[in-house]
Amino acid sequence: MSTEDDLERELDMLLAKAGANVPSDLKAGVLDGYRDMKRMAAMVRQPRTAAAEPSNIFSLKGFLA
Amino acid sequence: MTPTAKPSHELSVAEAGRALRAGTLRSTALTEHALARIAALDPLLHSFLLVTRQRAMADAERADRELAAGIDKGPMHGIPYGLKDIYDTAGIRTTCHSKLLIDNVPREDSVVEAKLKAGGAVLLGKLATHEFAIGGPSFDLPFPPARNPWHVDHFTGGSSSGSAAAVAAGFIRVAMGSDTGGSIRGPAFYCGIVGLKPTYGRVSRRGVFPLSYTLDHCGPLTWTVEDAALVMQVIAGHDPQDPASADVPASDYAQELGRDLAGLRIAYPRSFFAQSEGISEEVIASLDAAAQQVAQLGAAVDEITLPDFELFNSCGRVIAAAEAYAVHEQDLLTRPRDYGRYTYQRMMIGATLSAADLVQALRLRSELTTLVNREVLKMHDAMITANGLSAAPRFDEFHPDVPPKMAVQTMPFNVTGNPVLAIPTGFSASGLPLGMQIVGRAFDEATVLRIGAAYEAAAGWIHNRPELELRIAV
Repeated sequence: MSTEDDLERELDMLLAKAGANVPSDLKAGVLDGYRDMKRMAAMVRQPRTAAAEPSNIFSLKGFLA
Repeated sequence: MTPTAKPSHELSVAEAGRALRAGTLRSTALTEHALARIAALDPLLHSFLLVTRQRAMADAERADRELAAGIDKGPMHGIPYGLKDIYDTAGIRTTCHSKLLIDNVPREDSVVEAKLKAGGAVLLGKLATHEFAIGGPSFDLPFPPARNPWHVDHFTGGSSSGSAAAVAAGFIRVAMGSDTGGSIRGPAFYCGIVGLKPTYGRVSRRGVFPLSYTLDHCGPLTWTVEDAALVMQVIAGHDPQDPASADVPASDYAQELGRDLAGLRIAYPRSFFAQSEGISEEVIASLDAAAQQVAQLGAAVDEITLPDFELFNSCGRVIAAAEAYAVHEQDLLTRPRDYGRYTYQRMMIGATLSAADLVQALRLRSELTTLVNREVLKMHDAMITANGLSAAPRFDEFHPDVPPKMAVQTMPFNVTGNPVLAIPTGFSASGLPLGMQIVGRAFDEATVLRIGAAYEAAAGWIHNRPELELRIAV
């Protein structure tokens, strides 16, 4: 099986898990986007320092008495 | 013609404002001229989805009465403007350029619309966008895509497509847009106008349809830098009901205009864009010339390096895809055919991401934001870099089944949240606009506007306008 077939099978699995039934005529565009997104998701998964964490998006400042 | 010998659609906000206050121009005349121009020329461009003629004339008549009575509501008083059709307008249809919201009539105004209304501005209508600020350029939506006034066979950029086209065509001098990955700056580049993405949290997003909660910015598209500063005087400020709004006092955005650039240090990350795949030689040459011009105006320009653009871009794209999918999940799963092809195809990618992907992107965002703000912009007052990598493509270059990739380098500053001014830097050999980004420190819009205004005055590109009337005549 080619890498391209693997990629499509992987996409099908993820879309099924999400409960999505992608119309067949729209599939090529979704697959093309998935190829890019898979590369980009890998790029953000690199070692980071302990200081790099997203707790700043949660704040109780607005509830100060 | 007005007393200043310019046609009234070429008057800036400041010029029109002076004439309105001097009594040599009436808002009703300015508005009627704009409405007539839209009626004659917008069939070429499709920049407006809805023209609010009745509301516009009522706003203009009120402004004339108030100004005659000495009531001055600020720089936008009596000035026509348009809103990207993702800004809620009470009692006026707000569609997001989508079949899904084709009958949506909000009950309340977005905060930006409320501020412009309170400032006495004149609403001319709602402007085309890529569907839900992500989907275009599409021909399978309820309305056609906006077209580029410099050449109607070419793309406007997106998603604030109608906003940019309407300003470039001289229908309005101020249009509101939104920017999640470049949706103000890309269209400003392709249409040869000014676009300001303010600092994240500087302008309220309340009442603007969300695309990506932590990347969305609201800002103006204008013909001149000064006009962008004047709009900011009206729309900037803290909104306690917008969770992202920053409780930081708004500046006087016009106070630095007119100063030269002596004493400023400006970073120029040439390798960040010059080695990018697909960048045109004429874009590189235009950026080098702009950097040189900025240096001649008194700034010290230092070539610096930044991490790979793709690192910033991947970070922003992962966050945007996850957040946009979260906003649209139910409709994507149950009404796929109600979205345009490109919109659906772009948004469904969010379904493939894991929770860990999003968290890792947010961690990277923290690192990149620290680097830009604590290192690059600690040593420099601002940075100039590429916007689009080549002039506007033709619509027929896009594949009908696969959404086009946008050749702009704008996402890094949605990731970091810094203010950015997009400004023209000349024209391609084919006569299409080119431009650059001026990136500032957080909440320091005043400095990017100062640099932009000085460059704009020295470079003179502002005097070139698209020749739409000739196209109609042809």
